[in-house]
Amino acid sequence: MQPCGQSLFAPRPGNRPPATRLLALLLLLALQGAAAAPAGSRTPEDSEWCQDAELPQGLLLQAARAALHFFNFRAGSPSALRVLAEVQEGSAWINQRKERKVDLVFTTELYSTEEAKARLGKCSARVFFRNEKPRPAVNVTCTQLIERQKRQEEDYQLYRHMKQLNTPLDVVSIPDSHGHIDPSLRPIWDLAFLGSSYVMWEKTTQFLHYYVSQLSSVKQWKTNDDAIDFDYTVLLHEFSTQEIIPCRIHLVWYPGKPLKVKYHCQELQTPEASGTEDGSAVAPIELSNF
Amino acid sequence: MKWILFFGVLIGSGICGREKFFGDQVFRINLRNGDEISKLNQLVNSDNFKLSFWKSPSTFGHPADVLVPSVNLQPVKSFLKSQGLEYSVTIEDLQIYHEMDRIAGDFPNLASTVKIGHSFENRSMYVLKFSTGEGRRRPAIWLNAGIHSREWISQATAIWTSRKIVSDYGKDPAITSILDKMDIFLLPVANPDGYVYTQTQNRFWRKTRSLNPGTHCIGTDPNRNWNVSFAGEGASNNPCSEVYHGAHANSEVEVKSVVDFIREHGNFKSFIDLHSYSQLLMYPYGYTVNKAPDAEELDEVARCAAKALASLSGTEYQVGPTCTTVYPASGSSIDWAYNNGIKYAFTFELRDTGHYGFLLPANQIIPTAEETWLGLKTIMEHVRDNLY
Repeated sequence: MQPCGQSLFAPRPGNRPPATRLLALLLLLALQGAAAAPAGSRTPEDSEWCQDAELPQGLLLQAARAALHFFNFRAGSPSALRVLAEVQEGSAWINQRKERKVDLVFTTELYSTEEAKARLGKCSARVFFRNEKPRPAVNVTCTQLIERQKRQEEDYQLYRHMKQLNTPLDVVSIPDSHGHIDPSLRPIWDLAFLGSSYVMWEKTTQFLHYYVSQLSSVKQWKTNDDAIDFDYTVLLHEFSTQEIIPCRIHLVWYPGKPLKVKYHCQELQTPEASGTEDGSAVAPIELSNF
Repeated sequence: MKWILFFGVLIGSGICGREKFFGDQVFRINLRNGDEISKLNQLVNSDNFKLSFWKSPSTFGHPADVLVPSVNLQPVKSFLKSQGLEYSVTIEDLQIYHEMDRIAGDFPNLASTVKIGHSFENRSMYVLKFSTGEGRRRPAIWLNAGIHSREWISQATAIWTSRKIVSDYGKDPAITSILDKMDIFLLPVANPDGYVYTQTQNRFWRKTRSLNPGTHCIGTDPNRNWNVSFAGEGASNNPCSEVYHGAHANSEVEVKSVVDFIREHGNFKSFIDLHSYSQLLMYPYGYTVNKAPDAEELDEVARCAAKALASLSGTEYQVGPTCTTVYPASGSSIDWAYNNGIKYAFTFELRDTGHYGFLLPANQIIPTAEETWLGLKTIMEHVRDNLY
């Protein structure tokens, strides 16, 4: 691969006449447009990428965050959620559209751990921040942090606990203003966080990243057909703009099965918008994997 | 230790046996005749709403002040309305102002409260002045807290620190020698309107509560409102944005009050601003990637402070200039301070790194304040030894 700044049309070994080279490039671009495969099916060498030697501030962190949200969503396990410990190494490639591909290695801890010295898992990922499609494409593998059997047991325990809970819930706001979560409500929080991971994965970009601030309301809670059907609102905190974004999330979960999520987040208001200060929903964006 | 009880009251869980002490208000009730006086007496004596007189009704024509617990604000308001009793809300932030008065009362030779101005909604702004010298304009340190109202660990750390300063003076050599040479001014609630709003309406309110003409969106980001690269990169001109810089520099009276005081004093050497969250210790600039002239020295001081902070419980802070450590920010307090001759300008972003975020659990208040104190002392000691 070539360092950035060099012309993409610079002659390569095995110089070909210009027309053929152009044709080859066009063919390559056509192939890339047709393929919907996630990053990783093709090495950076055979596309219009050049190495981003000057890693922009925080890019590796952004990639780690996107990768971790995606990992948590795909794992579909509220008792095995992970958080970022440390980015260890990484490199990036950039193309002419300023899209970036990031390869990185990072460590993780369990979200729910209370231990002072938590066990670390190690992940390696390739993250592709694109311009057109909203979600970063992620390929990620991680070493095991919880034994599979233990994880399944804990998920089932959580599932059974949830099935017994009364609905509608009297409590709004988990955690409360002082950061307190009643232990009996902890499973709800974990499931809400799991669903939020899907949303945060889709919304994380090179520049934007999110945290779940609070579960602000629970609309509905069903356990038909064995699955848990959970309709709720979380407040996401976007760090670089400092905005608090309410997202209505609807998820369907059964231990061991892929998580299904639908959501709609509120857009930032414009000064002329009518409605109450704390938000009428504007342009709804229905995104889901139902 | 008295302040543990104070924090028990502050967080309201368990120790005082009452939920949510935060947000208690004092209502001033107009009493126009004997009938209204007896209605009010009846209400308070009935104990339905756990009310108590702050100032008892004596004769009509003089208002009575009643302390209303936050949980009962709504029902009491409804009751007063139904009885035709007129009222206005006077004191809020009871706990913090109360504690400030207590500190000044307990240590009159060391601490005093100074009113520096008022907020948009006309709440008083008080600083605690710690001084062992009389009357002179001694070199001074400004500790700023609560400018972003939802960052509750900031106000909490500030008030704990106030207690720590007065308790340790004469015992701890570091703070003793610092105060023997310099004054410390501490503003625990730089944004009182926002703070009350987070207790009563919206826990995640950040900005001031000033009105913006032509839009229903309220408030300006008080940490984008200072007169340094005002309206530059890292602020928004959209009044609905959380980083709206305001109509013009110092448009926010809360900011102007601090600016005027510091200008008038003329001898501040350090300005430290407490925020949350992210665990960062930063120095200028936020408004540009260009290095501040004193960047190297400030970086070294910050590293030492972060090391001291970590020595307590291992809490790790990242260190660097604002723009590249967190994000570009124009019109910020420490950039203004720095460009106005206050060299030792730092921002702390306190615990945590996103797990609880703004909703840091109460049981982390004291550990946070204790470790932050070590960092603050490191900075203040350096200022003491490098007065200019």
